Amino acid sequence: MRDHAPVDASHPLATLVPAAVGGDQHAWDAIVDRFLPLVGAIIRAHRLSEADGDDVSQTVWLRLVEHLGALREPDALPGWIRTTTRNECLRLLGARGKVRAVDPQAEHGLDAVVPDAAGEELLAAERRQLLREALAELPAGRRELLLLLLADPPVGYEQISARLGIPIGSIGPTRARALEQLRRTRALRELEGERA
Amino acid sequence: MSDLNWDAMSDDELIAALGEAVAEDASVSTQRRDAARAAFTWRTIDDELAELLHDSAFDAGAAVRSSAGTPRALTFGRSGITVEVEVDGDQVLGEVVDGAGAAVTLQRPELDDVAVEADAAGFFRFSGVGAGLVRFVVELDGWSLTTPWVTL
Repeated sequence: MRDHAPVDASHPLATLVPAAVGGDQHAWDAIVDRFLPLVGAIIRAHRLSEADGDDVSQTVWLRLVEHLGALREPDALPGWIRTTTRNECLRLLGARGKVRAVDPQAEHGLDAVVPDAAGEELLAAERRQLLREALAELPAGRRELLLLLLADPPVGYEQISARLGIPIGSIGPTRARALEQLRRTRALRELEGERA
Repeated sequence: MSDLNWDAMSDDELIAALGEAVAEDASVSTQRRDAARAAFTWRTIDDELAELLHDSAFDAGAAVRSSAGTPRALTFGRSGITVEVEVDGDQVLGEVVDGAGAAVTLQRPELDDVAVEADAAGFFRFSGVGAGLVRFVVELDGWSLTTPWVTL
């Protein structure tokens, strides 16, 4: 990685993972930034205390540091993070004696101890992660426009126009094109295929 | 699943969903981000990593009985080397199978390492181990084994 072009969270995993394996802290930070919200959402869905949540989060990242080199396919990373976070949440709930009693006669797997509501929350967390991934896939200009439109507190069209160097009149149409492109990203296409 | 059909969402719905996703990005605590970034400093290339073979906290059985009051049992292993650990409150009792005299180090991310020597039967003990992340490094006769991180 060149110093003047540090990797960031918008770089593809195929670039970030080998760079981190090679010892690039920026690449690691980018991976962290990209998946921390997903890890946090999965932890929230399991109703862990803040302190336990911090521990689960750190366990996931320390495990990933060890596991990264063994990851043959960078695209397998999101699945690995998801599974590891869920497992560590369940493990800690078990260690704290907080798992729900299940019928010992029934052949419940580990999923059975997850509160039902968590299932929907996990799916929603997944969707938000995919939207962030999709956003990262967009060309920088379009991503910036969408982020400016979502800014809180809101940024006026005049300011957006000045900042991006595009006429006010083309902000609306560009927004529409950016959203259309967002729907066509790999991130959003894949989920549809998976669930179909 | 209609809610997963991005094409069926209007632009306004999509941008609202995107807003939630981006807001979640901003909701990550600084402490968690710093800890996650700092995890990279634990990167080692040539450590022999053990596998976590068993954890009583992760049993289907743990869901049935109340695990409070029952010590948590963990088993790590690799290449024929087995390390058993029992966690009872802040006491960690362990055994390196056939590991008489092994050097056992308890590592925690923000604390100093603690090293003990296993006795003639391979048993070792750490006292005053609080909740949080730990891993063990076992060394004997030139080999060394590092366990995965676990949260106590």
